[in-house]
Amino acid sequence: MAFLQDGGFWLSLAQIIAIDILLGGDNAVVIALACRRLPEAQRRMGIFWGVVGAIALRIALIFFAVKLLELPFLKLAGAALLVWIGVKLLIPEEEGAHGSVEGSTNLLGAIRTVVVADAVMSIDNVIAVAGAAHGDMTLVVFGILVSIPIIVAGSRIVLHLMDRFPWVITFGGGLLGWIAGGMAVGDPAVARRLAAPQDWHYPAAACGAVVVVTLGSWLARRVAGRRGPTVEIPLRPDPDKS
Amino acid sequence: MKMLVAVDGSEVADRAVDHVIALARCGAALDIHVLNVRIPVESGHVRLFVHPRDLEDYYREEGLAELAKAARRLDEAGLAHTDHIAVGHIAVTIARYVDERGFDALVMGTHGRGGLRKMLMGSVAQHVLLHIARPVTFVK
Repeated sequence: MAFLQDGGFWLSLAQIIAIDILLGGDNAVVIALACRRLPEAQRRMGIFWGVVGAIALRIALIFFAVKLLELPFLKLAGAALLVWIGVKLLIPEEEGAHGSVEGSTNLLGAIRTVVVADAVMSIDNVIAVAGAAHGDMTLVVFGILVSIPIIVAGSRIVLHLMDRFPWVITFGGGLLGWIAGGMAVGDPAVARRLAAPQDWHYPAAACGAVVVVTLGSWLARRVAGRRGPTVEIPLRPDPDKS
Repeated sequence: MKMLVAVDGSEVADRAVDHVIALARCGAALDIHVLNVRIPVESGHVRLFVHPRDLEDYYREEGLAELAKAARRLDEAGLAHTDHIAVGHIAVTIARYVDERGFDALVMGTHGRGGLRKMLMGSVAQHVLLHIARPVTFVK
């Protein structure tokens, strides 16, 4: 267990857990909401299999992502994608088009929604975690196992934290930028052109963090400027809509 | 006087409601409104996979649960009240709600529940204070 004494291991693990919590919260919400219309007993089963599916899919996808990232230019592409995901994390959601996926009243339908949602929602998470893990699958599996219970049990606390302390989100965006920067100079195509690639890791990571936080905060301020009135939920469901 | 009391189902929120009841008993003519704010759970992903009606039902169910105690207290005191559920950043939404609907005053608890929540919610009151332009009463 020599890796337990390695500071880099713990740092990467902390990064993976932070990413899982910040980017995984909405996955837990989708699973819970997709199973809302099921009868009580089936609901619990739907949520359970939804979570199991999310974990399995994530580990499988990360396994492929780690392999793919060894190819030239793919780390560059991954880094660009991560910068975008980081910036998106910092911008508050605007009222936008809703999907029309009806909450299913049967278990199979709910599980289908959850699996498709898991697959789509895992993508940003997978790229970030693969970048933070530097190809170490032990880290990936360990990180996911630690963060799943946190997401399942603590998604409310995480929501409250993000509501009360917006810097938690800023920190998350910065972390994604940091990983993106390190990933970009780690790309075989880039590293070949640098005299001492390892010397570039931290400066590039810092640049990535600064870019995401600056761009994200700037865009977030612009969105905040053109907000509509507060959103109110009617106390009784509107019969016309059902 | 149009008065808003913001509640989260906590004991200190109950005390805020009791304060409003006491004011009404003193003879103040109050138009009482009760507000519960839900933190938005929707990201782009949630919107893609969850029907808006399911999301609304979810907010309503959670909101009504946190409004229930306040509503019962006011009912028992024989006071008329209008209940509301809003979605948004808690402190900012409370402050903007007061402003948008032209309330004369806001009453709310300073901290709800215990432990971690106490730490988090306590600062919600401080945050409201930063954003609000009307008279506020904080109840401990």
